[in-house]
Amino acid sequence: MGAYLLLFGAGFLGSFHCMGMCGGFACAVGRDPRGGGATIARHLLYNTGRLSTYCFMGVLAGMLGQIICTPQGINLSSNSLDLGQRILAIAAGLLMIAMALQFFGLVPNLGRGPLGFGGNTFSASLRSLLGTPGPAAPIAIGVFNGFLPCPLVYAFLAQAASTATAPSGFLVMLAFGLGTFPAMLMMGGVGRLLAPVWRRRGVWLAGSCILLLGLVTLGRGILPLESHIAHSWLTPPA
Amino acid sequence: MNAPAQLDGCSHCLLPLGRRPMQRTVNGEPFAFCCYGCCIAFQVKNGKSEEWDAAWLLIRLGVGAFLSMNIMLISLLLYAGALEGADAWLLPWIHLLLWIFATPALLILGGPFLRDAWVNAREGRLTASALIVVGVGAAYIYSALAVIGGSGGEVYFDTATMVLMLFTIGSYLEAAARARAARDLEPLLAAEREVATIVDGDKEIMRPVREVAAGMLVRIRPGERIPVDGVVIEGQSHSDEAIITGESRHIGKGVGSPVLAGSINIDGPLLVRATDAGTSTRWAKICRSVRDALSRRGPIQRIADIVVGVSVPLVLILGVMTVLYWTSHGILFDRALLIGLAVLVVACPCAVGLAAPLATSLGIGRLARCGCLVRDPAALEALASTRLLAFDKTGTLTLSKPRIVAIESEAGRPDEVLARAAGLERYSEHGLARAIAMAAAARGLEPVKTSEVVALPGRGIRGRTHGQTIAAGNRALMDELGWAMSPALDQRAHSLEAGGHTIVYVGWEGRVEAVLALDDTPLPETRWTIEALRRQGLAIALLTGDAHQAARRFATAVGIGMDEVETGLSPEAKCEALENYRRTHGVVAMVGDGLNDGPVLADADVGIAVGSATDLARETSALVLPPGGVWMLPWVISLARQVRRTILTNLAWAFGYNLVALTLAVLGLLQPVLAAAIMASSSVLLIVNSLRLTRLPDPILPPSPSWPGLTRQSIPTVLSTPSGASTA
Repeated sequence: MGAYLLLFGAGFLGSFHCMGMCGGFACAVGRDPRGGGATIARHLLYNTGRLSTYCFMGVLAGMLGQIICTPQGINLSSNSLDLGQRILAIAAGLLMIAMALQFFGLVPNLGRGPLGFGGNTFSASLRSLLGTPGPAAPIAIGVFNGFLPCPLVYAFLAQAASTATAPSGFLVMLAFGLGTFPAMLMMGGVGRLLAPVWRRRGVWLAGSCILLLGLVTLGRGILPLESHIAHSWLTPPA
Repeated sequence: MNAPAQLDGCSHCLLPLGRRPMQRTVNGEPFAFCCYGCCIAFQVKNGKSEEWDAAWLLIRLGVGAFLSMNIMLISLLLYAGALEGADAWLLPWIHLLLWIFATPALLILGGPFLRDAWVNAREGRLTASALIVVGVGAAYIYSALAVIGGSGGEVYFDTATMVLMLFTIGSYLEAAARARAARDLEPLLAAEREVATIVDGDKEIMRPVREVAAGMLVRIRPGERIPVDGVVIEGQSHSDEAIITGESRHIGKGVGSPVLAGSINIDGPLLVRATDAGTSTRWAKICRSVRDALSRRGPIQRIADIVVGVSVPLVLILGVMTVLYWTSHGILFDRALLIGLAVLVVACPCAVGLAAPLATSLGIGRLARCGCLVRDPAALEALASTRLLAFDKTGTLTLSKPRIVAIESEAGRPDEVLARAAGLERYSEHGLARAIAMAAAARGLEPVKTSEVVALPGRGIRGRTHGQTIAAGNRALMDELGWAMSPALDQRAHSLEAGGHTIVYVGWEGRVEAVLALDDTPLPETRWTIEALRRQGLAIALLTGDAHQAARRFATAVGIGMDEVETGLSPEAKCEALENYRRTHGVVAMVGDGLNDGPVLADADVGIAVGSATDLARETSALVLPPGGVWMLPWVISLARQVRRTILTNLAWAFGYNLVALTLAVLGLLQPVLAAAIMASSSVLLIVNSLRLTRLPDPILPPSPSWPGLTRQSIPTVLSTPSGASTA
């Protein structure tokens, strides 16, 4: 479970990065005229929509990893990490490290280009939904929001894929998604709370977390099994 | 009222509405859509958030996605074995939960498909939506029964909702891509919706273009499209008239310059006095004609439609048979049902229906933006397979302004001849007639009043002045009238004709009184065009009513071989000649000026009129090029070929893909969800393939004329030598 706490933490810290983009949406989901309780409900719905998108993508990523790793249907219940999973772990680890470096501003922005069309479509959808009353709209906004291109999400999806099973892919994204809850709820409630300085520090922390996770994942791929620090962390629950 | 929206085609992609358009109110205005995808895409783009109605559809989509993703998520976890062993008792409850999620998801996502299937089914048609409804419905009902039965059997709510979700996303992506294609067509279809700024005293009012009448003042800001034909009365600017003339050039406009509706005002504000009503400009006519063309279907499209119509019931039968086959071969019923669902989903003939219309409309739009009008998609298809291009000479390959180079008259009174001839010829739109009328005007002659004017196609024109018959035309007309001619005049006419001039005989009171020699200058770009057409593998022919000598001289000048020229043809003989060519070459196109050769153009497989001055609505030819637009022919033909190639590759892909996927599905090798995913991506692939048409280059004017010193601008319209000056 420790690994999931780490993921939760990374999600929490990473969500300071989210404030730039998704925070705007959280603010725009707005307040419910019927009062504080209704506003909280509205934002919970929004975040639930977002979370289910993340989890869905996590399961898919896990499945994908599983398909890549078990071309001949190798039994996964054994604890041995086969070659495919090692390669996947290395790839995911490198991707996460690249994302972390991007957070530090050390490499140029990745992952925007190919998704430009989809991203535009989703943001267009979001714009026309913001401010719509009723309980259904925030869910829809959350769902679309979840699909917006975001390096943070990609990093964790890589992590989910590297676990190579659907349930742990799900858990990775669940932990990450829940980690982003506090900051996003806060954004919805209070608007611009944090000074830019703090947001920058948050981004640095998020980058560090992802870097650490990336290194651990990379280690899973490279290091021999015995010296594997995260082995017990990130294998699927039996 | 929905009528205007229907007239304009789909509000989103501007393509023609199908037989059953979707009606919806967005931002308080009614709109009509050709498909569900366009409806979603339009609302995403234009819906205002204050409007509950606009957002409603997106909310449905979002909530549908939310539910189906959760269903999929839970199902995937189940498949991955998350609930095996000790937790197995939870299974029925989880299934119940899935059912609870799936029911609203099915209603939300499946509603539009169900409605479409139902509306069509009531009119006795089975559409692709019916396949989805039947397949998904079967999976849902089976799963619901499994939950009620409590047998712990498999449930397939995930498949049912995911298939719907993917089809919804697919139709949305399709519509989004189609809207990108429609950007090409937009200026053409929006002509009547466009708004003009009318200046009325001190006030400026915005009014639809169709309410602009002749004489009104219209202000046009830089960057705007000029909505009316008119004359500049204030301001200085440049305009781009490519949409009318095919040539993209900046043309200077100052006070007194005429402006054309449809051209773009580039860099300065203009105040224009309309010379025509907003609806009677060439631009408005082009737009109406394009809309007409878009609502027709080409032959390939008609075949595709028939295939789609036939295939839906066949696929339904195939689906049922697949289920029966697999159940009778020892496979569990639910597995067989899934295989059947995959068959229905994968055989959905959406792509086949999409293959032709998009490419055709892109082609038509591309041509229209350069001033070339296609009146029927079938013409575009025929043009692509044309083997021979027959040209009429006058006004087509020559400058549409022939000039008089000599007047030989019996009594030595060229001015009188010209005045009488002009009185007659001003009733004709023939290029020669106009040259005569202009020559008279240039010399300040008052045309003699003429009545009872009759045009005699292929021969000339006849009328009455002061009670006498007067006629102008070719030798045949004079012979027909039995009018005599002095030997001196006859000889002069012969020598002029031998020099390659076009001769017009003018006579009255039973005598041929004069001979007018006109020079038919070939268009400078004709030689280049003929060469380019030959390089495209086309045979060339010149069919002309001109005399042998003149036509030969002309043919040599533009690079047409002697064996390709047929001279002295009446319109009927031209039709016969075309018929012969059709026998030897196959598909034949005829290029003319659309005035004198109407019947011939109508008779050809593709009639191409160049620079028609007549009313577009009365035009008989299938393709109309802008004035002086012969040079665009090679481009037009390569575009037509490209369109046909795109349609054929689209169809080959759609059929081939459907066949392979269908085989896999029948054999039970294709998951329904996967089938839906490939299905959606297949449509998008077709669109991307068709969109390549928008990237074709513009037509380029041939670099330099083959005649030194001769350019289109430097040609004098009238030569005023009274007599004897023959240019050899």
